[in-house]
Amino acid sequence: MHESHKTRYGNIIFIALLTFGFALIIGRTTPYVSIIKDIVYYIAYPNVAVANKIFHTTGRFADNIKSMIFLYQENLAYEQKNQELEDKIRNYNIISKEYDNLSKLLNLEKIKYTKSVFARISAREPGEWYKWLIIDKGENADLRKDLPVVIFNKSKNTLCAMGKILEVYKSSAKVALITNSIYELPVEIKDKGINCIAEGFDSNLIKITYIPSGSDVKSGDEIVVSELSSVFPKGIPVGVIKEVMEETYIDFKTATAEVYFESDVIYDAVILVPCESV
Amino acid sequence: MKKFITYFLLYIIFCTLQFFFGKYINICGVFPNFILILIVYLGLTRGVVSAEITGFLFGLSWDVFSTDIFGMRAVIFTIVGYLTGIMNKHFDKDSYLAKIVIVLSANLVYWFGFSFIYWVLPASESSSSSFITAQAAFKILATVLIAPIIFFILDRLEFFVRGDT
Repeated sequence: MHESHKTRYGNIIFIALLTFGFALIIGRTTPYVSIIKDIVYYIAYPNVAVANKIFHTTGRFADNIKSMIFLYQENLAYEQKNQELEDKIRNYNIISKEYDNLSKLLNLEKIKYTKSVFARISAREPGEWYKWLIIDKGENADLRKDLPVVIFNKSKNTLCAMGKILEVYKSSAKVALITNSIYELPVEIKDKGINCIAEGFDSNLIKITYIPSGSDVKSGDEIVVSELSSVFPKGIPVGVIKEVMEETYIDFKTATAEVYFESDVIYDAVILVPCESV
Repeated sequence: MKKFITYFLLYIIFCTLQFFFGKYINICGVFPNFILILIVYLGLTRGVVSAEITGFLFGLSWDVFSTDIFGMRAVIFTIVGYLTGIMNKHFDKDSYLAKIVIVLSANLVYWFGFSFIYWVLPASESSSSSFITAQAAFKILATVLIAPIIFFILDRLEFFVRGDT
């Protein structure tokens, strides 16, 4: 009895829903159906919008997890590398100690180590272009007065002499250029072993003085820093002889030379800081 | 109240699954008809009334989101719900094969219903030109294949909601 009622009830609802459904199909272009459509849309749409938000948030979350895993793996690789480097430093310290002991025992002169400090040129006054410039490193980078300043010459693919530190401040330093008229640098003619002096000229040229009158010095000869320099290491290129004056003065002749550091546009400088070990 | 909340949650879950995830997890445009599976399930477990009302509401929601003839899915899902509800007492509830056969039949009713309505109504009005295509066959296949999993999940859910009784 109850089952029969339920079936009849189901049939009635079925017919009602079908009628309503067909009414919607027939009147699908009418404003009434459009209202029903809008109501249903505003009921169902938030679900889809929320799902969209959740889906994208989940996607971002998954991306974050992925990047965390990647970072963890990277970290592991770095830790391994760090361990290797630590081992290398330990070995190096042991060898360094042995080297010191052996040097002492054999009375050998120790090799001088230098640390390269890279600095950017922060100021260069046009009026004093060949006199000095300012770099953006100072005391905070262990710089001090009289340290040699070199630049990397691209055409020669080597470091070339540029000047020395004149004044040091907390985070900057003033560099006196070798072209400055106050500057005198002991140099030698490369491969000829002729010692002479390079004097600044306040121009892109330097004057090479004290060249023995009988020596074979000609245009195109390269000038490098001599062993007598107390600032630069020996052998650092300085420039190239441009013209040799034939007049002699007390057995010496002079020449003019073009400096290497002026052949490129300068943005960076390298300061060679002596240190105990590497 | 518990029954209403369950139906409401099912409505949200299946709407989201059908209308939102379809664009992400389809294979060449083939995506199972989860709503049809739910209506068949309700018809077989709860009877005619639940299945036809749920079918009608789901159909109406789907019609809102689609560009097909408005009211078409509401009618078809109501018919599917009614037909499966009638079978409530006349099939083996433990047999998954019987359920799959009923899902297949419901799918055929659904697609033939579609074709019939498009045949009766002028085709120029609709945005979809033909429904009985090769893609429809793949959609039926996908729905039939996924149905046992959905049935299993819904069975577990019903067990969880009702308890041991």
